[in-house]
This record gives sequence, structure tokens and C-alpha cells, in this order.
Amino acid sequence: MKEVSTVTDVLVVGGGMAGSFAAIRARQQGADVVVVDKGHVSRSGSTPYPKNMMVFDPGARGHDLERWMGEVALTGEYLNDRAWTEVVLRESRQVFDQLVSWGVGFRKDADGRILRNWGVSGGIESVQLEADSLAPTLRGQLLRHGISIVERVMLTELIVADNRVLGAVGVSTINEVVHVFTAKAVVLCTGASSFKPYGFPLGSVTGDGVAMAYRAGVEITGKEFYDTHATSARHPADVRYLSMERPSGQMPPLGLRTAEGETIELPGPTTLLPEFEAHAGRAPLTPVGPGPGAPSPCDAGPGPDAMVGGAGLGYGGVGEGIWPADGHCGSSLPGLFSAGEACGTRVVGARYPGGGWGVPSAGVTGDRAGRGAAAWAVGAETEPIDGGIVAALTASALAPLRRNGGFGPDWVTQMLRNTVAPYYVLGIGKGDRLEAVLTLVGFMRDHLVPRLMARDAHELRKAHETRNMVLNAEMKLRAALFRTESRGTHYREDFPARSDPDWLAWVVLADRDGHMTPARREIPRDWWPDLALPYGSRYPLAFPGEDRPDETRQPLGAPAQGDDDGRQGGVAGGD
Amino acid sequence: MTGGREVSRVAIERIDAETCTGCGSCVDSCCMDVIRMDDEGGLAMIRYPEDCILCHFCALDCPVDAITVTPEKTGPLPLSWG
Repeated sequence: MKEVSTVTDVLVVGGGMAGSFAAIRARQQGADVVVVDKGHVSRSGSTPYPKNMMVFDPGARGHDLERWMGEVALTGEYLNDRAWTEVVLRESRQVFDQLVSWGVGFRKDADGRILRNWGVSGGIESVQLEADSLAPTLRGQLLRHGISIVERVMLTELIVADNRVLGAVGVSTINEVVHVFTAKAVVLCTGASSFKPYGFPLGSVTGDGVAMAYRAGVEITGKEFYDTHATSARHPADVRYLSMERPSGQMPPLGLRTAEGETIELPGPTTLLPEFEAHAGRAPLTPVGPGPGAPSPCDAGPGPDAMVGGAGLGYGGVGEGIWPADGHCGSSLPGLFSAGEACGTRVVGARYPGGGWGVPSAGVTGDRAGRGAAAWAVGAETEPIDGGIVAALTASALAPLRRNGGFGPDWVTQMLRNTVAPYYVLGIGKGDRLEAVLTLVGFMRDHLVPRLMARDAHELRKAHETRNMVLNAEMKLRAALFRTESRGTHYREDFPARSDPDWLAWVVLADRDGHMTPARREIPRDWWPDLALPYGSRYPLAFPGEDRPDETRQPLGAPAQGDDDGRQGGVAGGD
Repeated sequence: MTGGREVSRVAIERIDAETCTGCGSCVDSCCMDVIRMDDEGGLAMIRYPEDCILCHFCALDCPVDAITVTPEKTGPLPLSWG
């Protein structure tokens, strides 16, 4: 087996929005930087897809920091980390200016002014990215800054010794080659954690960085939240056939028509309303456009397709990921940093306040992690790595290739998706169902994963992705079981209401003596909602089964708050 | 193990060998490693069709429009083990 060794100051894992910012910032601080990506930078991960970018622009009409902070806290149901929310808001303009200076295209009106959308849920504004401009531009900037890019290599494990990260081990995805990286600092920019959902082109976003960090003993947060997405009933493998997701369709649906012909208004993105409607037997659901006289949300052809549930993708780093231990996205493991959707800043809390947060969050955390990693690397020595540790990690990375019998990664992934994808597991949860599924996922972890086999390098990558997805499923189930309330996109039939102040807390998961163990992190009291306010004022969206004693019941499908006259379309997917 | 490969409908259907120039842009564009260069013929070939995730970048990036991607895709059969 061929082995390739690479030594650098800062190893950036993943070459998307976060990884590009981290790599370039670390390089600008004088560090040697290598970016490693399991695909091809500019076509890998989620970075090719965002359509919107939230930009807070002090001085612009309607851009009021306090009001936007309040909006995020309300829609995020007070689970956003307000320090990170403020940082991302304040630094989003710098990220935007940087992208413009690099030549990233933003859509403009006939007069050459950059188009802006108001967020679906209130007065948070986004600008619109031109199609396929961001990711290729970032690749060009990486090369221009003299950063080495290693592609088609999947990292499988961090190298850790003496409570420090010393590098990482990985495998080529195209031929049988082992890669050993020695680095003073590692920045995980590996994106969100999904289950290779049909319908969304996120099959490479399998939470590899979060899984490696977890196995290295680092705390993970936000796993109880659910990313609700629908896809086309006619072509479920291709979400572009759902009108709301079509590339040129900037208008989101304003509502859903149920099977009974009733039209219900959408209160904003990433609510569980479609799941509740499906659960009640009112699917199929059809998106309803903005009505006569308004631009059609459809590209062409017949009306919008009915929608079916896309698989829960994982909530992404705007809500979940590696717990950031400091303002530079460091972790509890010295030398290890994270950024983008792998970094659990909890910037928007329990639910998106509208799309467009992924890009600025990735830019801001990438920028900060890159600076932090470079500063750490300057003060650190390159530590010699014990050959025994590398040999053991290499053997583990190659084990699926060496097995003569076992289970194929495609089959295990299919069984995992069949187990966790139905809405009644992670979307609409209940203690007994979550426990039952956890039992099955535990079997996969203990019996199937250790017997994964691969016939070639392509399948070896998939075996490691499957292992990471099984771990992610366990994290999501344990966090959902631990949070004995409902909030944002976490819903429990057996605990259908928000529980203040008991659950004004974040959930973190960590390996404690070989067991995945959940724990609470209290939210600072200054960030709590005013508990003297009526429940319905704190939580405008009602959950099914929730007791709302102090006010007139307002259904989940209530109109969005905020200035409707400023709504020019909002956000069509692409978080 | 991947018995589905023969029975599933896959999204990336065809790379037209008459049109393909062997530039390799589609190989780069695929984050799922579905497409490889055929060492013998020097043209792009669909090697792992079951992994296509319908990002459409191969077709969008192909300078000679040689690639056909359809919205159809079905998964493998639900086998008891595999």
C-alpha cells in the first residue's frame, strides 16, 4: 500500500466557503496551508448551491442590529448563542465585501443595483448570489494565494496525542493510497451531517469532520434539531422539480394546499408544518404560489409538483456541530478548530429565521478559525508522531478493504436511511419510537459497521461515510431523547410544549468512557426571554398538542411577523 | 452487494462517446466519483452510476454537451442483507 506523507502548519479539511476563508486567512498570517477535500474543490459539499446571503449593512434602511437580533431570538426560540449571532451579523458585511473583491457575482436589477430579498420571517435582508459563481471563484482564490489543494482524499481519523491534535490520516477515494498529514493545527470545514438524502445533491455531506471530532473526544451540540425539506413527488430524486427550489424561482411558496383542498400559510422556512400536515393524513401537499399578478415561482411547464418529504439533512452548522470553545472556533482539543456548518455556533438557534445564513456564517467562522489556527501554529512545534499510532489508524482506515466478508456500505446506508428518514422518527419524535430506533441504530453501530467491506477505493470512501452517518444518527437520536420538550424544529409528541426555564439550555454530546453521553449547557440568563410575557408572546407558533393557557390559540400556520410590504420574495432554499 | 446497479434507474444515463472529447471536466465536476476516465479509450465513462445525486454539474460543465442526466432515479431493492 502506497503512503503519501504531507507536513504543513495548518490542515484545512474541506474546500468550500468555510474552508476557503480559513485557508486564505491562515495563509495571509504566514502559515503554510494545505486544503484536503474528498471531492473536487468548487464542486464538493454544499458550497455550489446557496442562492442567498444575509448581509447586515449598518446604515441601510431597515438594518437595525437590535431588531434583527430580536428577530433571530424569536424565530430561533431563544436557543441562538447571541454572541455568535451578533458576530455573524456584524462581520457579514466584511465577508460580502471580500466576496465582491474576489469577483463573486451577485444578482443586480436593471439599474445595476444588487438585488435584495427580505427574509421570509420578518425583516432580515439577504442579497442573491449569481448561479455557480461562489464556489469556482473560491477555488481560484485558493490557488492564487498559493495554497496546496489535495483532492479525492477522505480523512478518516484525527491523530491525537498528549491532548493535542497532530494531524490526520485519510485514504484516497480513487486508488489505494493512504495519506498521513502532519499539522500543527487542523480546521474542520466538512459541512453539515446528512444521510445522503434523495432529492438534494448533498450525498457527499456526511458529517465526516464532526464524526472525527466526536471520536477524538470533542463535544458536539445541536443534534436534536431537524432540517425539514421537501422534494418533488413526481421526481423525488431531483428537488429542482419542486417549484420552490427551481434555480430561477426566487419566490418561495406562500402556502401549502392540502389533500383536502385547504390552503395553509407557511410561517417561514424550516417549520415542521409539512410534517404535521402529513402526520395528520393531509398529504400530498402542493406548494401555493404568490397568487395572480405576481411573478410565477415556476420556471416553465405545468404547475408546481406535489411535494413529499426529503430526508432530514441534519440541521447544519448554523444550528449544530462542534462546540466552539472560543471566539476563534477552537475546540476543547488544543490545535483543533472548526468552521462553517461543522461548527456549532448555534447562530440562529432552534430554527432558521429565513435562509441566507449559511454563507455569512461560514465566512465569519472560516475567517476566525483560519486566524486562530495560524496563531496557534506559530506558537507550536511540529511534533513527531508515534509510528505506532499512525500504523493503527492506517490499519483501521483500510480495514474494509481487507475484509473478505461482511456488509456493503450501500446496503448499510440504505438500511440506516430506511430506519431514520421517516418523519415519525426525527421530525415528529416520541420517546418510545426514539428509543426503538436507537436500539436498531445501536445494532448497526455494534454489528454492521465493524463488518463493513469495500471492493475498491471508491467503496472504501463509502464505508467510512456510512460509519460516520451511523454515528450521526445515534447523536441525533440521543440528543432528541435528552431534550424532553419541543422547540423550533425539535418536536416531541410526548412533550409538545416549550419548557421554560428548564430547557433554556443547549445539549452537548461527548464520548465519556466509550459511551455517548448528553449534557446540558445553560443559556445565560441575560439571553432568556422575558418569562413574565405570556407564553404565546414568547412563542408565536403553536405546536400540535400544546397547551397554550394564557392566550387565544394561534395555529402554526399563522402569518409571518414583520413588515410585509418589504417582502420581495424571500428565500428559495439554499441555506 | 450492489445488486441494485443492474435494476435501478439511475440519473446519469449516458456519455455520448461520439461527442465526448476526453477533456475530463465531468470527472472533476462529480463530487461522488461517478465518472472516471477510461484509460484505454481516453474518454469519460460512467463508472459508479448508483452514486449519482443529480447535481447536474457534469452536464453543465461539459463543453460539448455529451452527457444526458434525467430526473429519474430509484434506489436498490430492499434486501435482507447485502
